[in-house]
Amino acid sequence: MTGYAKPLPRITPDNRPFWDATRRHQLALQRCADCARFRYPPAPVCPECLSDRAEWTAVSGRGVVSTFVVFHQRYFTSFAPDIPYNVVQVQLDEGPRLTANLVDVPNAEISIGMRVEVVFDDVTSEISLPRFRRATT
Amino acid sequence: MRDRTAIIGVGTSRFSKAPTETPMRLAAQAFKSALADAGLTRDDVDGLAINIGWPLGVDYDRFAEALGLRITFADQSWTHGRFVGPTLQHAAMAVASGLARCVACVCGVSFIQERGLLGGPGDFEGTREEGGTHEENPVYGLTAPAAGAALSAQRYFALYGATSEQLAAVPIAFRKHAGLNPAAIMREHLTLDDHQQSRFIVEPLHLFDCCLVSDGAAVVLVTTAERARDGAKPPVFIGGMQGMRAGRDEFLFATPGLGIGQQREFRYTPTEEQLAVYRMAGVAHADVDALYTYDAFSPLVWFVLERFGFCGLGEAAAWTQKGRIELGGELPMNTSGGLLSEAHVSGWNSIVEIVRQLRGECGQRQVSGARVMQWATAWGDSTIFHS
Repeated sequence: MTGYAKPLPRITPDNRPFWDATRRHQLALQRCADCARFRYPPAPVCPECLSDRAEWTAVSGRGVVSTFVVFHQRYFTSFAPDIPYNVVQVQLDEGPRLTANLVDVPNAEISIGMRVEVVFDDVTSEISLPRFRRATT
Repeated sequence: MRDRTAIIGVGTSRFSKAPTETPMRLAAQAFKSALADAGLTRDDVDGLAINIGWPLGVDYDRFAEALGLRITFADQSWTHGRFVGPTLQHAAMAVASGLARCVACVCGVSFIQERGLLGGPGDFEGTREEGGTHEENPVYGLTAPAAGAALSAQRYFALYGATSEQLAAVPIAFRKHAGLNPAAIMREHLTLDDHQQSRFIVEPLHLFDCCLVSDGAAVVLVTTAERARDGAKPPVFIGGMQGMRAGRDEFLFATPGLGIGQQREFRYTPTEEQLAVYRMAGVAHADVDALYTYDAFSPLVWFVLERFGFCGLGEAAAWTQKGRIELGGELPMNTSGGLLSEAHVSGWNSIVEIVRQLRGECGQRQVSGARVMQWATAWGDSTIFHS
């Protein structure tokens, strides 16, 4: 786990609860305490009703691939060994979309609409990244 | 605002893929060339509107100082090509409101010297707190503007059954235009096979779906319609404009409703509000002799056609076939070759092309009888020009 060379998330007061949850292998999003809408990325007010009140709420970690790409160009040296690697956007069953990688699926088998579920990758002692795999059920 | 302002002069530097000149040197060349084109001296310029400053281009303070200008209206957008339209609009509003007599819109850029910014380790986009403006997320290797266009293209392909072969019609058309433009960097014929055989950058986008990485500068001088009539060349009037869009339905590189990032999904059809530019200019789609857009990536051409209602949602793939967007076609687009084949002067090369077309200066690539031309982007801003 030492010497992880890829970029790491920047932890801020707004997103810290998200990364604290992933460290516990839990996916949690802000849910408006007034209108019950889930939101992502983290934000201080609800984009629906502007309420300041929100609770970090565990979500299912399940959803569908809404779009994806495969990187062939090397932009970061640290990703070079992974090329060609995928990046997916996953629409969670709760609504918001997350960007991540899809693991254990050959790039040629990725398709929009496929059901996926979250997995956690402990990339450093501090950070666990949510990624997704094909849904098992 | 209709016809209250006009472009009195335009100028460009040499466009190049060899980083031999600084952005300041390129911008100075373009500025002097625009003054000569307008028949003005630098003392006539009291406004400066910069799009693309540090670290890719020149900033307003250094430019004013270096060129010995006395500026009373200075404006600068972020280092992003999306602000071409807004920057030009600020210039027009400044002269219409009397804040300035003549505003120089200046773009001098070196993308070559700063390659690492475009998705590399120097990529400042991806480190924005809630993610990059093209959905960059370097943690997962999602970097570079091309990836944003690829996310949209992939979903568009799946929803509407469009293909990469159909998308090739866009760069092929613009390459033909560049072939008629001596200033263009990429002029050799491009075939469907060349496009399909070219390497993927971010799949599904091939190399030729992505704009050039080049150096160059362009300057556009905006003044009141009244002053422009006294210029050295015929004025090009700004007939109408509408601003850039933002909000929950917007992702920079997609039509509203496509469902990228946090965009809601719905079937988009252009509303009155989305088409305000035509009302202000008093023209209809059928009056537009050519359309110009920010073609950083070929899917953006499809998105702008659908966003502004030149064709229906999901129809652009078929609509752009058979030369429809080529010179001689129903709606020629980016007749200089655009960012895909002329040069990446952040879209300002297309504004210069509009002016030259409306003056009838474009030789072999002249749109015959051109009177009305439109700038419009996938992110919703637009400006309509006429002779």
